[in-house]
Amino acid sequence: MTLLRVENVSKSFGGLKAVDQVSLELRKGEILGIIGPNGAGKTTLFSIIAGSMPASAGAVFLGERRLSGLRANGVVAAGVVRTHQIVRPFTNLTVLENVTVGAMFGSPSTRHNPRARAHEELAFVGLAERAHHLPAGLTLVARKRLELARALATGPKVLLLDEVIAGVNPVEAIEMTKLIRVIRDQRGISIIMIEHILAALMSVSDRVVVLDYGKKIAEGKPAEVVRDAKVITAYLGEEHAKSNGGIRGPAAEKSP
Amino acid sequence: MSTWRQFIPEWLSPAVLAVFVAAAAVLHALPYVVALSPYDHNQLTLAFLFIATALAWNWIGGFAGQISFGHAAMFGVGGFAAARALQMQVAPFWVPWLLGGLVAGAYGLAWGHPTLRLRGPYFSIATIGVGEATRLVLTYWQGFTGGASGLALPINAQLKYSLYWYALYFLALVAIASYAIRNSRLGLGLLSIKSDVEAAADVGVPVVFCQDLVLFLSGAVVGVAGGIYASYFSFIEPSDMFGFDRSISFVLMAVIGGVGTVFGPGLGAVVFVLLRQFLIASYPQLYLGLYGLLLVLVVLFEPLGISGLIFRVARRLRPHRGAT
Repeated sequence: MTLLRVENVSKSFGGLKAVDQVSLELRKGEILGIIGPNGAGKTTLFSIIAGSMPASAGAVFLGERRLSGLRANGVVAAGVVRTHQIVRPFTNLTVLENVTVGAMFGSPSTRHNPRARAHEELAFVGLAERAHHLPAGLTLVARKRLELARALATGPKVLLLDEVIAGVNPVEAIEMTKLIRVIRDQRGISIIMIEHILAALMSVSDRVVVLDYGKKIAEGKPAEVVRDAKVITAYLGEEHAKSNGGIRGPAAEKSP
Repeated sequence: MSTWRQFIPEWLSPAVLAVFVAAAAVLHALPYVVALSPYDHNQLTLAFLFIATALAWNWIGGFAGQISFGHAAMFGVGGFAAARALQMQVAPFWVPWLLGGLVAGAYGLAWGHPTLRLRGPYFSIATIGVGEATRLVLTYWQGFTGGASGLALPINAQLKYSLYWYALYFLALVAIASYAIRNSRLGLGLLSIKSDVEAAADVGVPVVFCQDLVLFLSGAVVGVAGGIYASYFSFIEPSDMFGFDRSISFVLMAVIGGVGTVFGPGLGAVVFVLLRQFLIASYPQLYLGLYGLLLVLVVLFEPLGISGLIFRVARRLRPHRGAT
């Protein structure tokens, strides 16, 4: 069953087409990965889905409900929330208060007992003992968990994760991957995630969409997508596409 | 859980409530217990009014982080609306005050809705424009403000004396509101907006609504203060109500006391009023310059003003807990 539908969405900044006629569907209970080289339009696409910026053309639907035209807070109330690639904690609020903001202003059905729910979310992401600290004292991975807890506190149906694994060490990356699976398996939240670290993305995604220069160039199971000639060209250049090894190993783990 | 606790809202801590009630009771009884000179009596009345305006300015300037240099516009609009209504003498005087507050709040909303999407210095610059435009238009709008010569109100000596308590109760309400807003959903939303407006919107904070609402509330309180101020002097004129130094005074009170803290701006207002009396009397040519110097010193060395100093001392007294 399709939960979230992106229909022919485009976004232009002056002459630059950051997102060009992209359509995709997220099924209920699915983890959909989005990959693509830098500047492919991944984050712009997230911003459009989350209502942070309007699309130049096209529309986004959650079930039958049209999200395009809603402000960001309206999209959150409908049940779609994003995290940020560069974490953006509220630096003037404690870790607990940060998450409480999400709990208080999230989808209307989950606004009761915001403080208790914020505590639960902190425990869920493993930040319980940091509740009364300021975000400035947290490590990068802890701030990523905070960003995640704050988004989860809004009670979403769809979670948009923008590079929550990038920049953390391999052990932390595995932990984070586990956490993402738990979010889907135990809480039934459908997830779209952008990730540069292909190994991590491949292991957790049910399907993968590849963007390049704002266009969708491939879509399918992770194992199929990495063998797609267009994808290999986009990432590694035409030489590699001809030798047809697929993307894997260390080359895939480095940000292109 | 003891039963009395359930009668106090969750956000209100019993300690704060106790201090609050004690302070209100002492100030309420003061004129009965101590023979205050009329000068002191009146200075306290004005101090209550300005503490209230400083607290209300802080809702938008401190909590939401949108520094307004245009609050004199609401002070004046509220004052003149109240004055016009007071001249009609058809309702008890608190009705015109409330009316003035509503008109001022609505006026704040009218210019705030389009300008609040600006942030930081851009919003501040817009508020300077709003303040000055309001001053000019209303100075020339004789039908409403009586022009440069202003409006005279019916003189009521009894009312002027009792304004002490009206101003005190008004201040008490505003102080409770300050505390409530800081601890409410609205307050948390505003603080998140202050920190990162886009991230706030992305977790569901209705940015436009929160900012509009708080500017309305802030403007309404400042407008009511303008009305009480008009009653106090029985006379009201545009250059006094709308002057740029009036707007600056709201900012100064908050900065001296501690922008964004709940009660700091109130402390700042006390210092401001005392300092002003002293400086005007002793250094009439220099006093604005000295304010400027004070402002620079606060911003450079203690951005949280008096509140920051208090926090610092409190940390010293508990050396093991605040050693950061």
